[in-house]
Amino acid sequence: MHPLNRRQFLKMAGAASMLAALPRAVSAQTVAARVVVVGGGFGGATVAKYLRMWGGNVQVTLVDPSPAHISCVLSNLVVTGALPMTRITLGYTALAANHGVEILQGSAIAVDPAGGRVTIATATGNQVLDYDHLVLAPGIDFAPAPGIWNPDLTPHAWRAGTQTTVLKNQLAAMRSRDTFVMTVPKSPYRCPPGPYERACVVADYLKRKGRTGAKVIVLDANASIQAEPEAFTKAFNVTHKGWIEYVPNAAVQSVNSSTRSIVTTARTVNNAKVLNYIPNQVAGGIAASLGVNSSGYVPVNPLSYAIANYPDIHVIGDSCAVPASDGKAVPKSAHMANSEAKICADAILRSLRGEALDENIASSSACYSPITSKTASWLSTNFIYGDIFDAAGNVKGKGMHRVDIGEAPAAEVGGDSFEDMFTWADSLFADCFV
Amino acid sequence: MLIYKQTLIGTVAALAALSLSSGAHAAPPAGQLLASQCAQCHGTNGNGPGFDELAGKPTNELYNELREMKYSQQIEGIMDRQARGYTDTQLRLIADYLAAQPGAGDD
Repeated sequence: MHPLNRRQFLKMAGAASMLAALPRAVSAQTVAARVVVVGGGFGGATVAKYLRMWGGNVQVTLVDPSPAHISCVLSNLVVTGALPMTRITLGYTALAANHGVEILQGSAIAVDPAGGRVTIATATGNQVLDYDHLVLAPGIDFAPAPGIWNPDLTPHAWRAGTQTTVLKNQLAAMRSRDTFVMTVPKSPYRCPPGPYERACVVADYLKRKGRTGAKVIVLDANASIQAEPEAFTKAFNVTHKGWIEYVPNAAVQSVNSSTRSIVTTARTVNNAKVLNYIPNQVAGGIAASLGVNSSGYVPVNPLSYAIANYPDIHVIGDSCAVPASDGKAVPKSAHMANSEAKICADAILRSLRGEALDENIASSSACYSPITSKTASWLSTNFIYGDIFDAAGNVKGKGMHRVDIGEAPAAEVGGDSFEDMFTWADSLFADCFV
Repeated sequence: MLIYKQTLIGTVAALAALSLSSGAHAAPPAGQLLASQCAQCHGTNGNGPGFDELAGKPTNELYNELREMKYSQQIEGIMDRQARGYTDTQLRLIADYLAAQPGAGDD
Protein backbone atom coordinates (compact mmCIF):
# COMPACT_ATOMS: atom_id res chain seq x y z
CA MET A 1 0.00 0.00 0.00
CA HIS A 2 1.49 3.31 -1.09
CA PRO A 3 0.73 6.55 0.69
CA LEU A 4 -1.29 8.95 -1.44
CA ASN A 5 0.86 10.28 -4.21
CA ARG A 6 1.31 13.96 -4.68
CA ARG A 7 -1.27 14.28 -7.42
CA GLN A 8 -3.91 12.46 -5.37
CA PHE A 9 -3.01 14.56 -2.37
CA LEU A 10 -3.37 17.80 -4.32
CA LYS A 11 -6.77 16.66 -5.57
CA MET A 12 -7.93 16.13 -1.99
CA ALA A 13 -6.22 19.27 -0.81
CA GLY A 14 -8.09 21.25 -3.40
CA ALA A 15 -11.27 20.57 -1.42
CA ALA A 16 -9.88 22.21 1.69
CA SER A 17 -9.30 25.94 1.34
CA MET A 18 -6.73 26.03 4.10
CA LEU A 19 -4.60 23.42 2.41
CA ALA A 20 -5.11 24.86 -1.04
CA ALA A 21 -3.31 27.95 0.21
CA LEU A 22 -0.23 25.90 1.11
CA PRO A 23 2.58 26.58 -1.36
CA ARG A 24 3.23 23.78 -3.83
CA ALA A 25 6.79 23.42 -2.55
CA VAL A 26 5.67 22.71 1.00
CA SER A 27 3.10 20.14 0.01
CA ALA A 28 5.75 18.44 -2.16
CA GLN A 29 7.87 17.86 0.92
CA THR A 30 5.15 16.14 2.84
CA VAL A 31 3.72 13.61 0.39
CA ALA A 32 6.07 11.45 -1.63
CA ALA A 33 5.98 12.42 -5.28
CA ARG A 34 5.61 9.46 -7.57
CA VAL A 35 7.67 9.14 -10.73
CA VAL A 36 7.11 6.31 -13.17
CA VAL A 37 9.98 5.55 -15.55
CA VAL A 38 9.17 3.47 -18.64
CA GLY A 39 12.14 1.66 -20.16
CA GLY A 40 15.16 0.32 -18.28
CA GLY A 41 17.93 1.06 -20.75
CA PHE A 42 20.78 3.48 -20.08
CA GLY A 43 18.48 6.52 -19.90
CA GLY A 44 15.69 4.98 -17.85
CA ALA A 45 17.99 3.29 -15.34
CA THR A 46 19.96 6.50 -14.83
CA VAL A 47 16.95 8.75 -14.30
CA ALA A 48 15.52 6.26 -11.76
CA LYS A 49 18.79 6.07 -9.85
CA TYR A 50 19.50 9.81 -9.80
CA LEU A 51 15.92 10.75 -8.84
CA ARG A 52 16.32 8.57 -5.75
CA MET A 53 19.92 9.63 -5.06
CA TRP A 54 19.21 13.34 -5.36
CA GLY A 55 15.54 13.39 -4.48
CA GLY A 56 14.95 12.11 -0.99
CA ASN A 57 11.18 11.81 -0.68
CA VAL A 58 10.45 10.56 -4.21
CA GLN A 59 8.94 7.20 -5.03
CA VAL A 60 10.31 5.81 -8.29
CA THR A 61 8.95 2.84 -10.26
CA LEU A 62 11.03 1.54 -13.16
CA VAL A 63 9.03 -0.41 -15.75
CA ASP A 64 10.67 -2.77 -18.22
CA PRO A 65 9.52 -5.98 -19.94
CA SER A 66 12.78 -7.75 -19.02
CA PRO A 67 14.46 -8.46 -15.67
CA ALA A 68 17.73 -7.12 -17.10
CA HIS A 69 18.88 -4.77 -19.82
CA ILE A 70 21.19 -6.17 -22.48
CA SER A 71 23.58 -3.45 -23.56
CA CYS A 72 24.18 -2.50 -27.16
CA VAL A 73 27.47 -1.04 -25.93
CA LEU A 74 30.14 -3.76 -26.49
CA SER A 75 27.54 -5.99 -28.21
CA ASN A 76 29.53 -6.12 -31.47
CA LEU A 77 32.17 -8.00 -29.47
CA VAL A 78 29.51 -10.53 -28.51
CA VAL A 79 28.73 -10.92 -32.23
CA THR A 80 32.37 -11.88 -32.87
CA GLY A 81 32.45 -14.20 -29.83
CA ALA A 82 35.06 -12.10 -28.02
CA LEU A 83 32.69 -11.48 -25.07
CA PRO A 84 29.92 -13.59 -23.53
CA MET A 85 26.35 -12.24 -23.34
CA THR A 86 26.65 -12.09 -19.55
CA ARG A 87 29.28 -9.35 -19.97
CA ILE A 88 26.63 -6.99 -21.40
CA THR A 89 23.67 -8.13 -19.27
CA LEU A 90 22.81 -5.46 -16.71
CA GLY A 91 20.23 -6.38 -14.07
CA TYR A 92 18.02 -4.06 -12.04
CA THR A 93 18.59 -5.59 -8.61
CA ALA A 94 21.29 -3.06 -7.65
CA LEU A 95 18.95 -0.15 -8.46
CA ALA A 96 16.43 -1.66 -6.05
CA ALA A 97 18.93 -2.59 -3.32
CA ASN A 98 21.17 0.49 -3.44
CA HIS A 99 18.64 3.18 -4.30
CA GLY A 100 15.17 1.89 -3.41
CA VAL A 101 13.91 1.95 -6.99
CA GLU A 102 10.78 -0.20 -7.36
CA ILE A 103 11.04 -2.54 -10.34
CA LEU A 104 7.92 -3.53 -12.25
CA GLN A 105 8.25 -6.09 -15.04
CA GLY A 106 5.84 -5.08 -17.77
CA SER A 107 5.24 -2.88 -20.80
CA ALA A 108 3.56 0.52 -20.91
CA ILE A 109 0.65 0.29 -23.32
CA ALA A 110 -1.18 3.60 -22.83
CA VAL A 111 -0.64 7.03 -21.34
CA ASP A 112 -3.49 9.23 -20.07
CA PRO A 113 -1.77 12.64 -20.01
CA ALA A 114 -4.78 14.54 -18.67
CA GLY A 115 -5.41 12.05 -15.88
CA GLY A 116 -1.75 11.49 -15.03
CA ARG A 117 -1.98 7.74 -15.41
CA VAL A 118 -0.05 5.12 -17.34
CA THR A 119 -1.27 1.58 -18.03
CA ILE A 120 1.25 -1.22 -17.69
CA ALA A 121 0.65 -4.70 -19.12
CA THR A 122 2.17 -7.32 -16.82
CA ALA A 123 2.14 -11.11 -16.65
CA THR A 124 -0.68 -10.89 -14.10
CA GLY A 125 -2.79 -8.35 -15.98
CA ASN A 126 -2.90 -4.62 -16.52
CA GLN A 127 -1.92 -2.17 -13.81
CA VAL A 128 -2.77 1.51 -13.89
CA LEU A 129 -0.14 3.68 -12.20
CA ASP A 130 -0.73 7.27 -11.14
CA TYR A 131 2.23 9.57 -11.59
CA ASP A 132 3.30 13.07 -10.73
CA HIS A 133 5.95 12.80 -13.42
CA LEU A 134 6.29 10.22 -16.16
CA VAL A 135 9.62 9.58 -17.89
CA LEU A 136 9.53 7.64 -21.15
CA ALA A 137 12.79 6.04 -22.22
CA PRO A 138 11.71 3.25 -24.58
CA GLY A 139 14.65 3.52 -26.99
CA ILE A 140 14.11 3.01 -30.70
CA ASP A 141 11.52 1.32 -32.82
CA PHE A 142 12.13 0.32 -36.44
CA ALA A 143 10.46 2.09 -39.32
CA PRO A 144 8.45 -0.31 -41.53
CA ALA A 145 10.73 -2.32 -43.82
CA PRO A 146 10.11 -2.18 -47.56
CA GLY A 147 9.66 -5.73 -48.82
CA ILE A 148 9.43 -8.92 -46.79
CA TRP A 149 11.61 -8.72 -43.70
CA ASN A 150 11.90 -11.43 -41.07
CA PRO A 151 14.45 -10.45 -38.40
CA ASP A 152 14.79 -14.09 -37.33
CA LEU A 153 16.30 -14.81 -40.76
CA THR A 154 18.05 -11.52 -41.48
CA PRO A 155 18.75 -9.96 -38.07
CA HIS A 156 19.23 -6.29 -37.23
CA ALA A 157 21.02 -6.95 -33.92
CA TRP A 158 20.38 -3.25 -33.19
CA ARG A 159 18.61 -4.12 -29.93
CA ALA A 160 20.92 -6.47 -28.07
CA GLY A 161 19.88 -9.91 -26.86
CA THR A 162 18.43 -12.72 -28.94
CA GLN A 163 19.17 -10.79 -32.12
CA THR A 164 22.82 -10.51 -31.15
CA THR A 165 23.01 -14.30 -30.85
CA VAL A 166 21.29 -14.83 -34.22
CA LEU A 167 23.86 -12.62 -35.95
CA LYS A 168 26.73 -14.22 -34.03
CA ASN A 169 25.69 -17.70 -35.16
CA GLN A 170 25.27 -16.59 -38.77
CA LEU A 171 28.71 -14.98 -38.77
CA ALA A 172 30.27 -18.12 -37.27
CA ALA A 173 28.74 -20.18 -40.12
CA MET A 174 30.40 -18.06 -42.83
CA ARG A 175 33.03 -19.71 -45.02
CA SER A 176 35.56 -18.50 -47.59
CA ARG A 177 34.15 -16.31 -50.38
CA ASP A 178 30.89 -15.75 -48.50
CA THR A 179 29.36 -12.27 -48.40
CA PHE A 180 28.16 -10.37 -45.30
CA VAL A 181 25.86 -7.52 -46.33
CA MET A 182 24.81 -4.84 -43.87
CA THR A 183 22.91 -1.57 -44.03
CA VAL A 184 23.51 1.75 -42.33
CA PRO A 185 20.16 3.43 -41.54
CA LYS A 186 19.36 6.95 -42.58
CA SER A 187 20.38 9.43 -39.85
CA PRO A 188 19.30 10.03 -37.15
CA TYR A 189 19.67 6.51 -35.78
CA ARG A 190 20.93 4.85 -32.58
CA CYS A 191 24.73 4.98 -32.15
CA PRO A 192 26.19 6.87 -35.15
CA PRO A 193 29.55 4.98 -35.19
CA GLY A 194 27.94 1.60 -34.47
CA PRO A 195 27.37 0.27 -38.02
CA TYR A 196 30.92 1.15 -39.13
CA GLU A 197 32.28 -0.45 -35.96
CA ARG A 198 30.33 -3.60 -36.77
CA ALA A 199 31.70 -3.71 -40.33
CA CYS A 200 35.22 -3.47 -38.91
CA VAL A 201 34.95 -6.21 -36.28
CA VAL A 202 33.13 -8.55 -38.68
CA ALA A 203 35.85 -8.05 -41.33
CA ASP A 204 38.49 -8.55 -38.66
CA TYR A 205 36.80 -11.78 -37.54
CA LEU A 206 36.61 -13.17 -41.12
CA LYS A 207 40.27 -12.30 -41.68
CA ARG A 208 41.39 -13.92 -38.40
CA LYS A 209 39.39 -17.06 -39.20
CA GLY A 210 41.06 -17.32 -42.62
CA ARG A 211 37.84 -16.91 -44.61
CA THR A 212 39.72 -16.11 -47.82
CA GLY A 213 37.74 -14.04 -50.31
CA ALA A 214 34.93 -13.35 -47.87
CA LYS A 215 33.66 -9.79 -47.94
CA VAL A 216 31.66 -7.23 -45.95
CA ILE A 217 29.48 -4.95 -48.09
CA VAL A 218 28.31 -1.82 -46.25
CA LEU A 219 25.21 -0.24 -47.83
CA ASP A 220 24.95 3.25 -46.31
CA ALA A 221 21.67 5.15 -46.78
CA ASN A 222 23.63 8.32 -46.06
CA ALA A 223 25.98 10.20 -48.38
CA SER A 224 29.02 9.60 -46.20
CA ILE A 225 30.33 7.96 -43.03
CA GLN A 226 28.28 9.45 -40.16
CA ALA A 227 30.82 9.30 -37.33
CA GLU A 228 34.61 9.18 -36.95
CA PRO A 229 35.15 9.60 -40.72
CA GLU A 230 38.95 9.60 -40.46
CA ALA A 231 39.21 6.48 -38.33
CA PHE A 232 36.68 4.47 -40.35
CA THR A 233 37.94 5.63 -43.75
CA LYS A 234 41.39 4.41 -42.75
CA ALA A 235 39.94 1.20 -41.32
CA PHE A 236 38.03 0.48 -44.55
CA ASN A 237 40.82 1.50 -46.96
CA VAL A 238 43.94 0.41 -45.09
CA THR A 239 43.39 -1.80 -42.03
CA HIS A 240 40.68 -3.95 -43.64
CA LYS A 241 41.59 -3.26 -47.28
CA GLY A 242 40.07 -5.87 -49.56
CA TRP A 243 37.65 -7.11 -46.86
CA ILE A 244 35.19 -4.19 -46.71
CA GLU A 245 33.38 -2.53 -49.59
CA TYR A 246 31.70 0.75 -48.63
CA VAL A 247 28.74 1.94 -50.74
CA PRO A 248 27.27 5.40 -49.90
CA ASN A 249 23.85 6.74 -50.98
CA ALA A 250 22.37 3.26 -50.77
CA ALA A 251 18.81 3.87 -49.56
CA VAL A 252 16.97 0.57 -49.12
CA GLN A 253 14.15 -0.03 -51.63
CA SER A 254 13.30 -3.62 -50.81
CA VAL A 255 14.41 -6.49 -48.63
CA ASN A 256 13.74 -10.20 -49.05
CA SER A 257 14.68 -12.20 -45.98
CA SER A 258 14.03 -15.65 -47.47
CA THR A 259 16.56 -15.10 -50.29
CA ARG A 260 18.75 -12.73 -48.23
CA SER A 261 18.56 -10.18 -51.03
CA ILE A 262 18.40 -6.41 -50.90
CA VAL A 263 17.77 -3.66 -53.44
CA THR A 264 19.07 -0.15 -52.76
CA THR A 265 19.39 3.06 -54.78
CA ALA A 266 23.09 2.34 -55.27
CA ARG A 267 23.46 -1.44 -55.32
CA THR A 268 21.52 -4.69 -55.42
CA VAL A 269 22.88 -7.78 -53.70
CA ASN A 270 21.18 -11.17 -54.14
CA ASN A 271 21.66 -14.28 -52.03
CA ALA A 272 24.08 -12.92 -49.47
CA LYS A 273 25.32 -15.44 -46.92
CA VAL A 274 24.38 -13.01 -44.15
CA LEU A 275 22.03 -10.04 -44.52
CA ASN A 276 22.34 -7.77 -41.49
CA TYR A 277 19.51 -5.37 -42.31
CA ILE A 278 19.50 -2.48 -39.83
CA PRO A 279 16.30 -0.55 -40.61
CA ASN A 280 15.66 3.15 -40.34
CA GLN A 281 14.62 4.12 -36.83
CA VAL A 282 12.00 6.15 -34.98
CA ALA A 283 10.99 6.81 -31.36
CA GLY A 284 9.76 3.86 -29.30
CA GLY A 285 6.00 3.40 -29.71
CA ILE A 286 4.80 4.59 -26.31
CA ALA A 287 6.77 7.84 -26.68
CA ALA A 288 5.84 8.23 -30.35
CA SER A 289 2.16 8.02 -29.37
CA LEU A 290 2.54 11.47 -27.79
CA GLY A 291 3.63 13.17 -31.01
CA VAL A 292 6.70 13.06 -33.25
CA ASN A 293 8.59 15.36 -35.60
CA SER A 294 9.17 14.68 -39.31
CA SER A 295 12.04 12.30 -38.45
CA GLY A 296 9.84 10.23 -36.15
CA TYR A 297 11.30 11.38 -32.81
CA VAL A 298 9.61 13.26 -29.95
CA PRO A 299 10.49 16.98 -29.59
CA VAL A 300 11.38 17.93 -26.01
CA ASN A 301 12.19 20.99 -23.92
CA PRO A 302 16.02 20.97 -23.61
CA LEU A 303 15.90 22.08 -19.95
CA SER A 304 13.55 19.37 -18.69
CA TYR A 305 12.99 16.87 -21.54
CA ALA A 306 9.28 17.56 -21.12
CA ILE A 307 7.06 17.25 -24.19
CA ALA A 308 4.91 20.09 -25.53
CA ASN A 309 1.81 20.84 -23.41
CA TYR A 310 2.66 18.29 -20.68
CA PRO A 311 5.40 19.49 -18.31
CA ASP A 312 4.97 16.28 -16.29
CA ILE A 313 5.76 13.92 -19.19
CA HIS A 314 9.41 13.60 -20.21
CA VAL A 315 11.10 11.72 -23.05
CA ILE A 316 14.83 10.98 -22.83
CA GLY A 317 17.42 9.00 -24.76
CA ASP A 318 17.09 7.64 -28.27
CA SER A 319 13.38 8.53 -28.54
CA CYS A 320 13.73 12.26 -28.05
CA ALA A 321 14.62 15.09 -30.40
CA VAL A 322 16.55 17.83 -28.58
CA PRO A 323 16.52 21.27 -30.22
CA ALA A 324 20.03 21.80 -31.61
CA SER A 325 21.88 23.85 -34.20
CA ASP A 326 21.44 22.75 -37.82
CA GLY A 327 23.92 20.03 -38.76
CA LYS A 328 24.97 19.62 -35.13
CA ALA A 329 22.38 17.17 -33.83
CA VAL A 330 22.55 15.60 -30.39
CA PRO A 331 23.59 11.97 -31.02
CA LYS A 332 21.56 8.97 -29.87
CA SER A 333 23.95 7.06 -27.63
CA ALA A 334 24.03 5.29 -24.26
CA HIS A 335 26.34 7.93 -22.84
CA MET A 336 24.07 10.75 -24.06
CA ALA A 337 20.97 9.00 -22.67
CA ASN A 338 22.71 8.92 -19.27
CA SER A 339 23.58 12.59 -19.67
CA GLU A 340 20.00 13.57 -20.53
CA ALA A 341 18.64 11.43 -17.67
CA LYS A 342 20.54 13.50 -15.11
CA ILE A 343 19.28 16.80 -16.57
CA CYS A 344 15.76 15.36 -16.54
CA ALA A 345 16.07 14.10 -12.95
CA ASP A 346 17.34 17.48 -11.75
CA ALA A 347 14.52 19.27 -13.60
CA ILE A 348 11.84 17.01 -12.10
CA LEU A 349 13.15 17.55 -8.58
CA ARG A 350 13.32 21.32 -9.10
CA SER A 351 9.80 21.30 -10.43
CA LEU A 352 8.57 19.33 -7.40
CA ARG A 353 10.20 21.92 -5.14
CA GLY A 354 8.61 24.74 -7.12
CA GLU A 355 11.98 26.07 -8.33
CA ALA A 356 12.96 27.43 -11.72
CA LEU A 357 14.78 25.05 -14.07
CA ASP A 358 18.58 25.20 -14.20
CA GLU A 359 19.82 26.85 -17.40
CA ASN A 360 23.51 26.35 -16.64
CA ILE A 361 23.51 22.84 -18.11
CA ALA A 362 25.74 20.76 -20.37
CA SER A 363 25.43 17.36 -21.98
CA SER A 364 28.02 15.06 -23.46
CA SER A 365 28.81 11.84 -25.21
CA ALA A 366 32.02 9.86 -25.37
CA CYS A 367 32.51 6.38 -26.71
CA TYR A 368 35.04 3.85 -27.90
CA SER A 369 34.70 1.73 -31.05
CA PRO A 370 36.69 -1.43 -31.70
CA ILE A 371 38.41 -1.43 -35.11
CA THR A 372 39.99 -4.89 -34.71
CA SER A 373 40.11 -7.50 -31.91
CA LYS A 374 42.93 -5.50 -30.28
CA THR A 375 42.49 -1.86 -31.30
CA ALA A 376 39.86 0.84 -30.88
CA SER A 377 39.16 4.49 -31.71
CA TRP A 378 37.13 7.03 -29.79
CA LEU A 379 34.62 9.83 -30.34
CA SER A 380 33.76 12.77 -28.09
CA THR A 381 31.14 15.53 -28.28
CA ASN A 382 29.77 18.21 -25.96
CA PHE A 383 26.74 20.49 -25.82
CA ILE A 384 25.89 23.58 -23.74
CA TYR A 385 22.44 25.12 -23.31
CA GLY A 386 21.99 28.46 -25.08
CA ASP A 387 21.34 29.93 -28.49
CA ILE A 388 21.11 27.47 -31.36
CA PHE A 389 21.67 28.41 -34.99
CA ASP A 390 20.33 27.66 -38.45
CA ALA A 391 22.57 26.75 -41.38
CA ALA A 392 23.10 30.43 -42.22
CA GLY A 393 24.32 31.14 -38.70
CA ASN A 394 21.22 32.98 -37.50
CA VAL A 395 19.85 32.31 -34.02
CA LYS A 396 16.78 30.09 -34.35
CA GLY A 397 15.98 29.54 -30.68
CA LYS A 398 17.29 27.97 -27.51
CA GLY A 399 18.60 24.46 -27.21
CA MET A 400 21.70 22.36 -26.75
CA HIS A 401 24.42 23.90 -28.93
CA ARG A 402 27.31 21.65 -29.89
CA VAL A 403 30.49 23.28 -28.64
CA ASP A 404 32.93 20.49 -29.45
CA ILE A 405 33.23 17.27 -31.42
CA GLY A 406 36.22 15.20 -32.39
CA GLU A 407 37.53 11.71 -32.92
CA ALA A 408 40.74 10.08 -31.80
CA PRO A 409 43.79 11.36 -33.69
CA ALA A 410 45.47 8.57 -35.69
CA ALA A 411 48.09 7.96 -33.00
CA GLU A 412 45.32 7.32 -30.46
CA VAL A 413 43.65 4.56 -32.50
CA GLY A 414 45.22 1.45 -31.03
CA GLY A 415 45.67 -0.92 -28.13
CA ASP A 416 45.51 1.65 -25.33
CA SER A 417 42.13 2.85 -26.54
CA PHE A 418 40.98 -0.78 -26.73
CA GLU A 419 41.80 -1.16 -23.02
CA ASP A 420 40.20 2.21 -22.23
CA MET A 421 37.02 1.03 -23.95
CA PHE A 422 36.40 -1.47 -21.14
CA THR A 423 37.16 1.09 -18.42
CA TRP A 424 34.65 3.45 -20.05
CA ALA A 425 31.98 0.77 -20.51
CA ASP A 426 32.29 -0.52 -16.94
CA SER A 427 32.11 3.00 -15.54
CA LEU A 428 29.07 3.82 -17.67
CA PHE A 429 27.36 0.54 -16.76
CA ALA A 430 27.89 1.24 -13.05
CA ASP A 431 26.78 4.89 -13.21
CA CYS A 432 23.53 3.77 -14.84
CA PHE A 433 22.73 0.43 -13.18
CA VAL A 434 24.57 0.38 -9.81
CA MET B 1 -13.83 9.77 3.83
CA LEU B 2 -14.33 12.97 5.81
CA ILE B 3 -12.50 11.53 8.78
CA TYR B 4 -9.70 10.38 6.56
CA LYS B 5 -9.40 13.82 5.06
CA GLN B 6 -9.28 15.55 8.43
CA THR B 7 -6.63 13.16 9.66
CA LEU B 8 -4.65 13.80 6.53
CA ILE B 9 -4.87 17.55 6.96
CA GLY B 10 -3.57 17.34 10.49
CA THR B 11 -0.71 15.10 9.49
CA VAL B 12 0.18 17.26 6.56
CA ALA B 13 0.31 20.41 8.63
CA ALA B 14 2.60 18.77 11.17
CA LEU B 15 4.87 17.31 8.53
CA ALA B 16 5.03 20.59 6.65
CA ALA B 17 6.29 22.36 9.75
CA LEU B 18 8.79 19.57 10.40
CA SER B 19 10.20 19.49 6.92
CA LEU B 20 10.48 23.26 6.73
CA SER B 21 12.57 23.30 9.88
CA SER B 22 14.76 20.37 8.85
CA GLY B 23 15.34 21.69 5.32
CA ALA B 24 15.13 18.15 4.00
CA HIS B 25 14.68 19.29 0.43
CA ALA B 26 17.14 22.11 0.03
CA ALA B 27 18.26 23.26 -3.40
CA PRO B 28 20.99 21.02 -4.83
CA PRO B 29 24.63 21.98 -4.31
CA ALA B 30 25.97 24.17 -7.11
CA GLY B 31 27.86 22.07 -9.62
CA GLN B 32 26.05 18.82 -8.77
CA LEU B 33 24.35 18.46 -12.15
CA LEU B 34 27.34 19.66 -14.18
CA ALA B 35 29.71 17.36 -12.28
CA SER B 36 27.39 14.41 -12.84
CA GLN B 37 28.51 14.60 -16.49
CA CYS B 38 31.91 13.28 -15.33
CA ALA B 39 30.37 10.16 -13.80
CA GLN B 40 29.92 8.20 -17.04
CA CYS B 41 33.71 7.70 -17.10
CA HIS B 42 34.80 8.42 -13.51
CA GLY B 43 32.02 6.79 -11.49
CA THR B 44 29.04 8.26 -9.66
CA ASN B 45 30.20 11.37 -7.75
CA GLY B 46 33.67 10.83 -9.21
CA ASN B 47 34.15 7.78 -7.00
CA GLY B 48 34.81 5.11 -9.62
CA PRO B 49 34.80 2.60 -11.11
CA GLY B 50 36.41 4.26 -14.07
CA PHE B 51 39.31 6.45 -15.09
CA ASP B 52 41.16 8.67 -12.56
CA GLU B 53 39.22 9.02 -9.32
CA LEU B 54 38.12 12.61 -8.90
CA ALA B 55 36.26 12.64 -5.58
CA GLY B 56 38.05 14.45 -2.79
CA LYS B 57 40.89 15.82 -4.93
CA PRO B 58 41.88 19.43 -4.16
CA THR B 59 39.65 21.80 -6.08
CA ASN B 60 42.50 23.85 -7.55
CA GLU B 61 44.24 20.72 -8.78
CA LEU B 62 41.05 19.58 -10.55
CA TYR B 63 40.33 23.02 -11.96
CA ASN B 64 43.88 23.58 -13.22
CA GLU B 65 44.04 20.12 -14.84
CA LEU B 66 40.68 20.68 -16.54
CA ARG B 67 41.80 24.06 -17.87
CA GLU B 68 45.13 22.65 -19.02
CA MET B 69 43.28 20.01 -21.05
CA LYS B 70 40.71 22.50 -22.32
CA TYR B 71 43.35 24.86 -23.67
CA SER B 72 45.82 22.19 -24.85
CA GLN B 73 47.15 23.03 -28.33
CA GLN B 74 47.27 19.40 -29.44
CA ILE B 75 44.53 16.85 -28.85
CA GLU B 76 45.93 13.69 -27.32
CA GLY B 77 43.54 12.00 -24.90
CA ILE B 78 39.74 12.08 -24.95
CA MET B 79 39.71 14.50 -21.99
CA ASP B 80 41.44 17.13 -24.15
CA ARG B 81 38.13 17.13 -26.03
CA GLN B 82 35.67 16.70 -23.15
CA ALA B 83 37.19 19.62 -21.21
CA ARG B 84 36.39 21.86 -24.20
CA GLY B 85 32.71 21.23 -23.54
CA TYR B 86 32.43 23.58 -20.56
CA THR B 87 32.95 27.26 -19.77
CA ASP B 88 35.68 28.10 -17.26
CA THR B 89 32.96 29.03 -14.77
CA GLN B 90 31.37 25.61 -15.23
CA LEU B 91 34.76 23.91 -14.77
CA ARG B 92 35.16 25.76 -11.46
CA LEU B 93 31.73 24.58 -10.28
CA ILE B 94 32.60 21.01 -11.29
CA ALA B 95 35.95 21.12 -9.49
CA ASP B 96 34.40 22.56 -6.32
CA TYR B 97 31.67 19.91 -6.26
CA LEU B 98 33.99 16.95 -6.85
CA ALA B 99 36.54 18.19 -4.31
CA ALA B 100 33.80 18.17 -1.68
CA GLN B 101 32.84 14.53 -2.35
CA PRO B 102 34.09 11.85 0.02
CA GLY B 103 36.75 9.75 -1.68
CA ALA B 104 40.28 8.51 -1.23
CA GLY B 105 41.50 10.81 -3.97
CA ASP B 106 43.41 7.90 -5.47
CA ASP B 107 44.34 7.83 -9.13
